[in-house]
Amino acid sequence: MAIDKVTLEVLKNHCRAAAESMAFTLYRTAHSTFVKETEDFTTGLTTSDGETFATPVELGATWFVGLNYKTVIEMIDAYDEGDICMTNDPYSGHVCTHSPDMHVWKPVFHEGKIVCFVVGHIHNTDVGGAVPASISRTLSEVHQEGIRIPPAKVMRKGVFNQELIDVMLANVRMPEQNWGDLKAQIAAMNTGERRVHEMIGKFGIEVFREGIGDLLDYAEAQARAIVAELADGDYFFADYMDEDASDGFPCRLALTLRIRGETVELDFTGSDPQVESSINMPTGGQERHALLMVGLIYVLYSLDTRLFLNSGVCRVASSVLPEGTIVNPHFPAAVGLRTLSVQRLMGVIFGAFVQAAPDRLPSCPASGGPIMNVNTIDNRTGRRVVAAIGPITGGAGGDPWRDGAEGSGANSSFLKNTPVEINEAEVPIKIQRYGLTPDSGGPGKHRGGLALEMRFEAQAPNTKVTARNMDRSRFSSWGVLSGEAGSLSRFVLNPGTNRERNLGNIDFLSIDPGDVVHVGSGGAGGWGDPLERDPELVVQDVRRGFVSRGAAESRYGLVLGDGGYDKAATVRLRAERVAARLDGESFFDFGKGRNDFEVVWNHGNYDVLTELLAATPVHWRFFVKHRVFEAIDGIIAGAGAVDEPGQAKVKDDGSDVRACYQRVLKEFPQLRAAVEG
Amino acid sequence: MGYRVGVDIGGTFTDFCVFDEDSGALETLKVLSRPDQPGAEVTTGLAEITARHGVTPSAISYFTHGTTVGVNTVIQRKGAVLCLFTTENFEDVLEVARLKMPDPYDLFSTRAEPLVTRDRVFGITERILVDGSVDVPVDEASVRRAIDGVRAVGGEAVVVALLHAYRNAEHERWVASVIRAEAPELDVILASAVWPVIREYERTVTATVAGYVQPRVAQYLSALQQALSDAGVIAEAMITKSNGGVMTAEIGKTDCAQMLLSGTASGVIGAASIARGTGAPTAMSLDVGGTSADVAIIIGGQPQYGVGEMIGEFPIHIPTVSVTSIGEGGGSIAWVDGHGMLKVGPESAGSSPGPACYGKGGERATITDALVVLGFLGRAALGYSAVEMHPELARTAMAAIAVQLAMSVEAAAEAVVRVAVSGMYLEVSKLVSRRGIDPRELSLIAFGGAGPMLACWLARELSMREVVVPRVPGVLSAFGGLIADIKNDFIRTIYLDLDEAAIEPMQQGFGDLARQAMVWIRDEQGFQEDVAMFPSADIRYRGQSYEIDTPLEATWIEEGDIQAIAGTFHNLHEQVYEHADRAAKIQIINLRLVVTGQPPKPAFAPAPKASGSLVASRQVEVFHDGELHLADIHARVDMAAGHRFNGPAIITQDDCTTCVLAGFSGVVDDAGNLILTRKD
Repeated sequence: MAIDKVTLEVLKNHCRAAAESMAFTLYRTAHSTFVKETEDFTTGLTTSDGETFATPVELGATWFVGLNYKTVIEMIDAYDEGDICMTNDPYSGHVCTHSPDMHVWKPVFHEGKIVCFVVGHIHNTDVGGAVPASISRTLSEVHQEGIRIPPAKVMRKGVFNQELIDVMLANVRMPEQNWGDLKAQIAAMNTGERRVHEMIGKFGIEVFREGIGDLLDYAEAQARAIVAELADGDYFFADYMDEDASDGFPCRLALTLRIRGETVELDFTGSDPQVESSINMPTGGQERHALLMVGLIYVLYSLDTRLFLNSGVCRVASSVLPEGTIVNPHFPAAVGLRTLSVQRLMGVIFGAFVQAAPDRLPSCPASGGPIMNVNTIDNRTGRRVVAAIGPITGGAGGDPWRDGAEGSGANSSFLKNTPVEINEAEVPIKIQRYGLTPDSGGPGKHRGGLALEMRFEAQAPNTKVTARNMDRSRFSSWGVLSGEAGSLSRFVLNPGTNRERNLGNIDFLSIDPGDVVHVGSGGAGGWGDPLERDPELVVQDVRRGFVSRGAAESRYGLVLGDGGYDKAATVRLRAERVAARLDGESFFDFGKGRNDFEVVWNHGNYDVLTELLAATPVHWRFFVKHRVFEAIDGIIAGAGAVDEPGQAKVKDDGSDVRACYQRVLKEFPQLRAAVEG
Repeated sequence: MGYRVGVDIGGTFTDFCVFDEDSGALETLKVLSRPDQPGAEVTTGLAEITARHGVTPSAISYFTHGTTVGVNTVIQRKGAVLCLFTTENFEDVLEVARLKMPDPYDLFSTRAEPLVTRDRVFGITERILVDGSVDVPVDEASVRRAIDGVRAVGGEAVVVALLHAYRNAEHERWVASVIRAEAPELDVILASAVWPVIREYERTVTATVAGYVQPRVAQYLSALQQALSDAGVIAEAMITKSNGGVMTAEIGKTDCAQMLLSGTASGVIGAASIARGTGAPTAMSLDVGGTSADVAIIIGGQPQYGVGEMIGEFPIHIPTVSVTSIGEGGGSIAWVDGHGMLKVGPESAGSSPGPACYGKGGERATITDALVVLGFLGRAALGYSAVEMHPELARTAMAAIAVQLAMSVEAAAEAVVRVAVSGMYLEVSKLVSRRGIDPRELSLIAFGGAGPMLACWLARELSMREVVVPRVPGVLSAFGGLIADIKNDFIRTIYLDLDEAAIEPMQQGFGDLARQAMVWIRDEQGFQEDVAMFPSADIRYRGQSYEIDTPLEATWIEEGDIQAIAGTFHNLHEQVYEHADRAAKIQIINLRLVVTGQPPKPAFAPAPKASGSLVASRQVEVFHDGELHLADIHARVDMAAGHRFNGPAIITQDDCTTCVLAGFSGVVDDAGNLILTRKD
């Protein structure tokens, strides 16, 4: 039975209101500043099977619309009215995806039967483990990332399970905060439960029961209609993170998107093996796992913002997730920093979809900018200060209609900064500059949004700076349809001095008084041919300081004149540039870093590597990948072409990769035994 | 004795509320607004009042007025060619804002283009540190270069907003003196003078909005003053402020930041006075117009205040009566999506062409049309006969929706109302959850042209206990202006730990604010009666990024009673957030002072007492809850205190129509308000 559409629309608003009320209750009563500042939490309502049918959109993290609680719901034997369960174990059901996220769920009963669940999570500032805040890229096992609570009842029939709470609080660094935030979560669950009872009272149990199913069907129908508009086909896309571990090699995420009518298949074959750092994404191989669906939901919602957001949207998708890879790691791979890899994965999904609808989707948003934290002593008070000083986001990609938003946007739109004046009041640093980076946006008919940058000076010795999620120091955000890649991220100590040091993608350093740190995100990719950009817009960009005079000419073919541009000279210059182009311009522009890398590690060679690693036992793969990369580097070095990557002597048919792999096999007989055994 | 006149100028109508100081009687009037000729609607209205009620302009003893001219200047982007001087290396403050985008799920979401684009922002070489000390003095050459820049882009005015100027405004004043010497033709606005509070984006954007609207607001107020004087009005024109108070129009010409939300705020002031009159402890005001519904929470008879209210697409950070705007009004258009789901809004027919039933070319069904089809509207003249109703056109428009939904025209109309009300429910639900309020305890005070039409539906959806419809629901903003205080806010950022060392700076700060307040109210406003001062402070736990405005007693400040201040903060924190940490360190961020002066308040004549019971003028059929009902029609003018009636009923009056659903019973209270109570 489907309920009538008018009642369904009314029910939809009531369900949204319930989810929003839960979010506001949680936000209002949460104790930790982290929750208030980052809004890294969510609330929602799920069917008795765990499918999320309503989620808030005004507050909270944007990542968990597609979350399905089924696995953890089933891990509890039996429910009584008044029970509340929780888990923060990324390897128990894969609802939780890193240990700081404490997920809770509460059954809502009507006449003795469960009608739905109210659910949600909070990112706790700390859950114990090897490092404060529990997350570091350097960790390699989930056990280092703090206490893990498998699905368990934190409340039984309305009474706290004090033993469980005591164990948790004994293992974390700031127990009052975790306890305070847990109480806020419980308040949110109780709000949600009350609202469900009100809805049952208003609509009747039958209409409610049927209606929540219909809401999932409605979102699914909307999503199907959106997908149906896209051209069928197979679309391959890959992108890289700078490193798979400290001092490691690039880490690849690959996707073949298969659009078939109203459905899509996301095949992640070609993605790297799971890594010995904490950027693994614990999906448990679930084909509609929330971490995989984030990028898809962004795309579908952006194609039609009338889309009602719930897990019904995800029903258009299925996925292929090879085991032992970064998208489906085996226990106990560390997962704390999956934020970084999921961000890149979203970009990969955007890159696949944009090929199907280049006239309806943007190019790659900026990323690579970190969330900055400072830990130092305040000379004014002698007090230790540990504080976040802000996310260094970057702009949105250029799109078919406009330039990308500057400094933030697209999939970083939910982040908020800390004002310079508040930072200086709270943290003993002096901020020298905070703003946009000229020339950082990928040139295009519609320019990529500019990067954001901050420069600050330490005031006390031994000031510790962390730069969580720092990346894109080597591989740019891509442009499409002749739009160019954005600039790389920048992390420099003492810029413009003889003590200048490029920090690349490191995420931790210690500085002293007089030291200046410059940190900047990458720029976003451009959309369309920069030589077709409206000259007036280029002039405007120059006036606004977003594009330098030099770049106006070198990258946009614009000849500036008195207070404007020289029309005739510009037409001439642009025509010359077009004539000088080689045929067969590719759809994407990836920037120099990636082009250089792919001279050796092109699609064909990487496919061979993927195939060989797939046949290698999981616990060997990361090691073998590194040895093969080293061997390939050896070939390049041996060919004396290290300074001219274009001249590298690595064959692109995969044969050198196979040869290197054989060499590794030979060198390590244990490996051969493992492979053949 | 004479007459007090309150006027509220909206997009479509200009509302008048006239209070006769001799008889205590209250009269109302609506005339069409004249955006093309500001001031003309006031002249027309005054002439009409003279004609109808024999009020001569010279007998007007008090004149207040609210206007949307500031907001419209921003929305239509018709303000000054404004430039901005910032501290060098921080020129992108408006571009970067606070990073967060309006719709974080949409890859295309973007911020509005700033009122000052980046080519009109110029960096000044100077730097003040967080403690107010000078790190780099102002380099006057950099100011001169900036002035050259302003001239090159044809700038008319300059906002100067430098880092940490809330702490030490010396550099902003220095820069201003250079500008005045070098380029006296430029208007200069100092952000530290508009609202000197910590947080550079918030302070800067507030000052730019103020600077942007200033020329038009000043011009408008001058035109208004002229129109009043030409009409023979002697009383000095007052304007209503975003903080719910009033000030002289003369001051408003330069202090534009204060009057941007004047009309909306005075509506809530009006509603709050109604709430006090009915004794409702907590209430929600609902002001529904053609395109939006404004809701506000009233606690203990007082409006709630906030900062960051939106002016068009920009937040301003001065204290403002807190109002949430929902994109649904009488003109919101109904449509059916590709999956057969009925939607209402956000598109609106506005006032032109307006709902289909207005017969002004609108063809798509709106909420107003739905109410016409249901039989609630179109039974009497609306808006002083400014609008003629065409029920048949409403039916035709609704028939198109009915076909798509495969239901009768009446059922479709009811569906439109249900969906619209559920959308309002969603937004209101967020608002009350944000504040931790149970809607069941609220009285709903409904006003605006469409508020009393929809109030019963919304009250039912939210399980609210009662609906209150004031005597003059159509002109409540004009009424609010009549009863508002002269009022101003002052702030100083001190940013200190709340301990013994904070006492002296706190005392000194409040002393300075009190002196500023007296200068404002005595010298600038020329108000010589008794004044009241309300000190408070923005306080938080260390590590938090948001403060609670904590009311303080004057004696706590004089005696340096830190314990009392801390205790009050802990209690408020407990009240708002449901927890408090009495052992935690506390920071006192800003000192605040509100000064008010109360002009003599109108003493309204009580509503006439009912003699006998209320008899319906006639009965008509209305459709709701899936069936036809017989509804009584009552004319508001015939209703007297003590009259009782039952829903379904339609209550008509010049400025709006109240729809009373079956299941509600009504009574007229002593002040003449309609109190509609749900029978459960």
